[in-house]
Amino acid sequence: MNGHSSRRKFLGQCAGLVAGGLGAGGLVDACHALPVDPAPIRAYRRGGMLYRRLGHTDLFISALSFGSHTNPTYRVATDYGSMLNDEGQARRDRHIAKALDQGVNMVDVYENAGQWQPMARMVKPKREKVLISICRQTDQLVSQHIDAAARHFGHVDLYRIYLGDGPRVDDSILEQWDAIRRAKKTGKVRAIGVAVHLESMMLSALDELEGLDYVMFPYNFIHARADYSQFLPRAIEKGVGLIAIKPLAAGSIAKLDPRARPGSQPEDSRILLYKKANRPVLPAVVKKLTENLDRMPNESLCQAAMRFVYSRPFIATAMPGMFQEHELDENYAAILRHLELSRNENDALNAARRFSGAWGSTWLPRHYRWLDHCWRTS
Amino acid sequence: MTRSANHISRHKPAKYTVFSTYLAGLALVVIVAWAHHESPGDESDDQAATSVSRAGAESVMFKEAGTCARCHVFSVLEWAVSRHLEVATNCQSCHGESKGHVANERNEVKPEYLFEGQAIAGQLCMTCHGTGCPDTNRVDNCQQCHHVHALMNPAKPLPDRGEQLEKLLRRWDRFDAQIARGKEHADQQQWEVAGAAFQAALKLIPGDARARAQLAMCQRRLQTALPGFERLDDAYDKTTGLPRAVKVPAIDMPMRLVPPGEFDMGSDRWADARPVHTVRIDAFFLGAYEVTQAQWLAVMGNNPAGHQGKQFPDSQRMPVEHVSWQDCQAFIRRLNERVPGGGFRLPTEAEWEYACRGPRAAAPGANDIAELAWFGANSRRPGVPEKPDLDLKAYAPRTVGTRRAGNWDLYDMHGNVREWCSSLWRPYLYNPADGREALTHVGLRVLRGGAYCDAAASLDPALRHAERPNRRLRFNGLRLARNVPQLKLPDLRD
Repeated sequence: MNGHSSRRKFLGQCAGLVAGGLGAGGLVDACHALPVDPAPIRAYRRGGMLYRRLGHTDLFISALSFGSHTNPTYRVATDYGSMLNDEGQARRDRHIAKALDQGVNMVDVYENAGQWQPMARMVKPKREKVLISICRQTDQLVSQHIDAAARHFGHVDLYRIYLGDGPRVDDSILEQWDAIRRAKKTGKVRAIGVAVHLESMMLSALDELEGLDYVMFPYNFIHARADYSQFLPRAIEKGVGLIAIKPLAAGSIAKLDPRARPGSQPEDSRILLYKKANRPVLPAVVKKLTENLDRMPNESLCQAAMRFVYSRPFIATAMPGMFQEHELDENYAAILRHLELSRNENDALNAARRFSGAWGSTWLPRHYRWLDHCWRTS
Repeated sequence: MTRSANHISRHKPAKYTVFSTYLAGLALVVIVAWAHHESPGDESDDQAATSVSRAGAESVMFKEAGTCARCHVFSVLEWAVSRHLEVATNCQSCHGESKGHVANERNEVKPEYLFEGQAIAGQLCMTCHGTGCPDTNRVDNCQQCHHVHALMNPAKPLPDRGEQLEKLLRRWDRFDAQIARGKEHADQQQWEVAGAAFQAALKLIPGDARARAQLAMCQRRLQTALPGFERLDDAYDKTTGLPRAVKVPAIDMPMRLVPPGEFDMGSDRWADARPVHTVRIDAFFLGAYEVTQAQWLAVMGNNPAGHQGKQFPDSQRMPVEHVSWQDCQAFIRRLNERVPGGGFRLPTEAEWEYACRGPRAAAPGANDIAELAWFGANSRRPGVPEKPDLDLKAYAPRTVGTRRAGNWDLYDMHGNVREWCSSLWRPYLYNPADGREALTHVGLRVLRGGAYCDAAASLDPALRHAERPNRRLRFNGLRLARNVPQLKLPDLRD
C-alpha cells in the first residue's frame, strides 16, 4: 500500500486512459454508430460439427443426424413391431454413442416399439443436449402417440407425420395436424413437421398446414435434379426448416461408388457397378468416376454426395441411415472438408447420376423404386 | 394499487412515510373535486370546482394516463393536480413509451426511463424549467422540495381549499345516504322506491358508475321481459337485475347469464397466453350447452356433423361439429333474422375464458376435469375395445349436458367439441378495440375449450387455439352468446 498503486487502482486508471484515448479518436462514437445485425444466427461450428437453425425455430441441429432405420440383419419381428436382437441393439447403441460424441445432436426414433426404450435409456443423462425426432407410424391418435413418447423422453423435440402420396392435404391430415399443433402449444413438442416425398404434396403442406416448422423430404445429388423448383423457393421464403432424408438414396449411391467399402449396401447386396451384366456400360463410367475421384484424396463418392447436401445452406440437416461404423465416420469426415464441391467433384457426381439414369429405377432397392419414378417424372 | 404501495414501501420507506399523509389527502381532494366538477347544481360548488379544475378533470386525467393509471394510481393523482396535466406532459413524456413495461404486468420489465436523485432535475425538470426555482434559484435539486409528479411542496398546505373541501364532502355524504337508502329498499324488493333513491344519488353525482348500475338493476327488475327470451325461473342476478336462466324459444336453446366482472386473463403456463392481464367483461348471455345438431338443422336446413346416422341414435342432441367459423357466422345471421331482438353472436375469447373460469378464475383440477368434460380419456365410442393404437374414429362427442355443470351452470365448456370464438388470434394483451373483434378482418380465429379427442392438458381454460376461418374439422363446434338488451337510462346532465 504505502504510496504504491493498488491493482484495482491501476486497472481503473488504465481503463480510464484507454477509454479517453478511444474517445479522443472518435472510435467510441464510431463503435456506437456501427449497425447491429438484427438477423438471428443461422449456423455455427463447434468441435468440427456444423450446426444449423431449423427454419424459424430455436433448434440448432447438427448437419449430420442419425436416422431411425435399423439394420434388417438384426431385426426380430414381434407382435408389436420389429425390434433388434441383442447384438444389433448393442451395435446401434455404440454407433449412436459415437455419433453423439462427434457432435451429432439429433436422433430419429420413429420405430417406437423397438427403439423408444433403448433410446430413452441412452439419452437420459444428456437429454437437454440431444434432440429426439419422432414420426407417427401407426393409426394411433396423435395426442396419445405424443403422450406415450413424452412419457419416455420427457418431451419430443421434433414430431412429424407422414403425408402419404395423395395429391394434396386432406381432412384426415388436417385433423392430425390440429392435434400436433395442440401438442406443441402444451409444450410436449418443440417443432412440428411433415415427411413427404412428392412435390405437389409439399406445396399443399406449405399452403394448408398452419405453424409448419419443417419439412422432411428426399434430397440427394440425383434427385435434387427432380423438380423442386416451386417447393424450395417457397419453403425458404416462408422460413420452413428443411431436413434431407435419403441423402444417399437409401444407400444406393454406395453402389455407384467405386471406393465403397464392403458392407455398405445393407438393403441390397448387389453392386451394380461391378456386375457382369453391366460390363458394356461399366468401363467408361468407372474410368470417369475414378479419374475425377482420384483428384480428391481419400474422398469417396458417398462423401461427395453428402457434401452436396451439406453445402446447401437451406438444408438444416441430412439424415442418412447408418448401419456401419465406417459410414458414420465417412459422413462425419465429409463435414470437416470444405463443403463447396469443386468442378471435378461435380463432374464425378454428374457421371454417377447419368449412370443411375441409364439404369432407370433398378439401381434402387426394390421397395424404393416407386420413389425414383415419382422423382424423375415430377 | 397494492402492488404499487408495496413496491414503494420496500424501496423508498423514509421518503414515502413522510409523504403518505400528503398523498392520502391529495387523493381525497382529487376525488371530491372531480365529484364537484361534474355537478352542475350548486353555484358556490361550481366556483369551487373551477378553482380546483386542475385537479378535477378525472376523465381527462385517466384518459391521458391510460394504462399507467391501472397500477400507478397515486402517481397519476399527483400528476393530475400539477400543471403537468395542463401542458400535456404525460407519463410517456418522462418515462418513454415503455411498451415492455406495460405488457408485463408482473413488473419484470422496467420503464424505459426511471431517473433518480439529481438526474431528475437534470434530465427532466430542466428541459422545461430551465431558469431554475423562483424561490431558491437552484437548478439541481428540484426533488428536494417538489415531488416529481405533483410539483407541489408537501410542507405547504393547499391554498384556499378548506372551505371548498367541506362543501364537496357534504355533497358526497348526501350521495352515500341516497345509495344506502336505495340498497335498503332494493333488499326489500321495493324496486320503484329504490330506483328513485338511486336516481336522486345520480343527480348529486351524475355519471357515477355505481349509482347507474344500481338504477339499471332496479329498472330491469321492474321490466323483466326481454325480447326474444323466455325466463326459466325466478333467479335474478343481484348486480344487474337480469334473469340468470333464460331460453330462446325459437330454437329451444337455454342460455345463462354471465354477470359482469373482472378477471385475470391468460396463464403463465402457455407461451401465447402470456402475460396474465386484467380484463373487464360486461354482462352477456351464453348458451348453457354447445349448439346441437338439431338446432343447426332447424336454422340452416342441413346437418354437417361428422357424427350422425344409425351409429349415433342420439345425434340430434349431440353438438354440431365439422363447421367452420364462416359457417357459424352464416348460422348467426339467419338466427338474428329469425329471433326477435337478435343480438346473437359468438363469444369473444375473453368472454369465453371468463365464463369458463367463473368468479374464482381458477382452472379445474384433474379430478374436476374428469367430471366436467368429455375428452380423450373418457370419450371412446361404446363398443370400441381399449387398445393403445386407437385412431380418431374410435372417439366421438357425446350428448350435450351429460357431464357435471361448471361455473354459472354452463355445461361442456371443457371438452366435447372445441368452440369457435369471434376473436382473431392476436398476441395478448387482449384489447377488443385493436381490431381483433372485427368480423371482416382476415386471419386465424380463436377456438377454445378442447375436444373429445384431446388430452387433459388441452382443456385448460387459458389455452388458446386458432384455426383458419374456412376450415371444417370434426371436433370444432360452437356455443352462442347473446347481447343483453340495452336499457335507456335517463341522462341526468340535461
